Amino acid sequence: MSIMKNLPNRKEADRPSMIVAGARNEENNSELAAKIFSQFRSDFRYHEFVLGCLNCGECTTGCPAARFYDFSPREMLQIAMSDDPQVLLDAMQEKIWACCQCYTCNMRCRFGNDIAGIISVMRELAVKNGLESTKEVLKPASRSLLKVMTHGTQVSPDMIQPDFFVDWDPKAVSKSSELAVLRKAIPIDVLQVTDSSWEVSMQTALELAQIYEESGVLDMLRALDPDLVEMIVDIISDWKEEFEEMKEKYVIKGDASK
Amino acid sequence: MTMLSADQIRNVLRARAEHRAVSDKKVPDVREEMWKLQDKGELIVIPITARNKPVKVETLFGWEKKIPTDHLWHHKSCGQCGNIPGYPASLLWFMNQFETSYLNEPHQTSCTAWNYHGTGTSNPVALAAVAVRNWYRAYETGTFPLIHCGTSYGDYKEMRKLLIENAEIRNKVREIMRHMGKELVIPEEIVHYSEWVHVMSDRMASMAKYDLSDITVTVHEPCHYYKMVPEDAIYDMNVHGGQRPAPPTALMLALGAKVADYSTWYDCCGFGFRHILTEREFTRSFATLRKIRPMVEEAHSDVVITTDTGCVTTLDKSQWIGKVHGMDFMVPVLADVQLAALSAGAHPYKIVQVHWHASPTEKLMEKIGIDYVKYKEDFMAYLQQIKNGGKVEYLYEPHKEMEKYFAVNKGQVIPEHDSNG
Repeated sequence: MSIMKNLPNRKEADRPSMIVAGARNEENNSELAAKIFSQFRSDFRYHEFVLGCLNCGECTTGCPAARFYDFSPREMLQIAMSDDPQVLLDAMQEKIWACCQCYTCNMRCRFGNDIAGIISVMRELAVKNGLESTKEVLKPASRSLLKVMTHGTQVSPDMIQPDFFVDWDPKAVSKSSELAVLRKAIPIDVLQVTDSSWEVSMQTALELAQIYEESGVLDMLRALDPDLVEMIVDIISDWKEEFEEMKEKYVIKGDASK
Repeated sequence: MTMLSADQIRNVLRARAEHRAVSDKKVPDVREEMWKLQDKGELIVIPITARNKPVKVETLFGWEKKIPTDHLWHHKSCGQCGNIPGYPASLLWFMNQFETSYLNEPHQTSCTAWNYHGTGTSNPVALAAVAVRNWYRAYETGTFPLIHCGTSYGDYKEMRKLLIENAEIRNKVREIMRHMGKELVIPEEIVHYSEWVHVMSDRMASMAKYDLSDITVTVHEPCHYYKMVPEDAIYDMNVHGGQRPAPPTALMLALGAKVADYSTWYDCCGFGFRHILTEREFTRSFATLRKIRPMVEEAHSDVVITTDTGCVTTLDKSQWIGKVHGMDFMVPVLADVQLAALSAGAHPYKIVQVHWHASPTEKLMEKIGIDYVKYKEDFMAYLQQIKNGGKVEYLYEPHKEMEKYFAVNKGQVIPEHDSNG
């Protein structure tokens, strides 16, 4: 099997053009780098997660991503500790996305650093600041993003289509044509759906939407994909109307859960 | 050469285990602070009471953890329900056998952490609020949350810690909950389904209809079970000498299977959250080269057993493409509870739902002695029956239409505070 290349250390000519366009602009944008650096260092998690480093490399010896990408948790921690904003911004272009979030590095670290956690903070900031490279990396994930933001589950049976997952399962083709009946043959009522992992009640989905709105996640997403946010808002708006109609149908007043 | 007694060996192993506790950083037991916050009126602890019939186990540092075995609220896993439905079905099937009281509702979201770990599109307040909203649903129905997914389990332990240690996050989450008419609750313990399975191992083994003594099992220990919040995972001095988590190995041994070691047991499966969906070249390469190949070539594994959604998916779905490179391993991958269910005589297709697995299970079933051809014919007839509008078989009475919309309270009693159970 081919060994994957990692974008940050490739030559310019090897880079996909769309990423280069974004990265170049951002690489030269010292204002953006300073802004992100300030956000990073003022995040309450920074001082909890980054405790020091011996450069021993224990974290990297167990890292799955380090075997296939030009990536190392040791380097990521060093970057997190660097006082150069540009170093941080450069790593946020693509390196941060190689991490598998398995937490092996955390368990091996003698300093007790939360390396996987600090990479997550970097990812959050990459999304929040709408980095072009992040838009590119996360473009294929938009389907599951829409799913989780509206249904509260992250995959659905009808996502496992042969054209998307041709390498997974040769039986996927027959499954997709028989999907509804196969789901019906699961002896758990809430699993007998195809567009969600399980049937999530409308009240529950609306409560999740409320969480995303009040916690600022929707605002965060706007920088990444405003069209996706618009779609989510439209769907939730329709559901709110339907929910009110159902309340009347079932003669429920006020808080449905009571 | 000096021979050591069993007690001396135990002492050596215990000393090694305790060494982990002094690895430069003192790990606080957040549960102690949690109870203090309840006393101050900052939050409500969902208690494990006698009604939950708890079983006590030991975790990494020798701390005690209570595993509730009754009156449970199933916190489902999106990946399990989405493409490994025999995983939760086998668990619920066992609970029916044991007459365990449980709720499996539509009033649950996922933990949303798969998405977070893959894309970074969330934040601590949202993740914590999602956790509390789900926990509250268990609380108001008088049940205790049982977490199916390893990532949800790890994430919820991180959220528990965050809510306990960070007053600002706590206040923000409490405010969001207040807007929904809910309160800030935290379960007394965060419990993974494999821990329930672990404490029920002997009962499961006592139901065995098939002999697994010819079956060689390799175990993949899910990272988010024991690496994310290491101090809360179950260890047992009698399993791997206390040097690796006890679930699911203890169950495999109880079932009589041979558990074989392999050199890369500590490695992750290669799931990667984003990688499994959109960067699968990495996932399938890592899974095949670092996990499946050693399991087959070093350990001659008949079946791979693990206890998490992403690991079953990755190890199962990544094998077929290996044929292109001459790596035709095709070793079946099952969750612990699925193999236990097969051993106990559960229907391989109606309950264990092996047809959703990409790597074939027929050879394994044949070796166990299960007449899978007969079961398959039975299942095909059942599918036809469903197509014709016939009766569908359920593990519990289906929800009413109204519950597609509303989280109707089941009217169960919120248990009195009693943590001595």
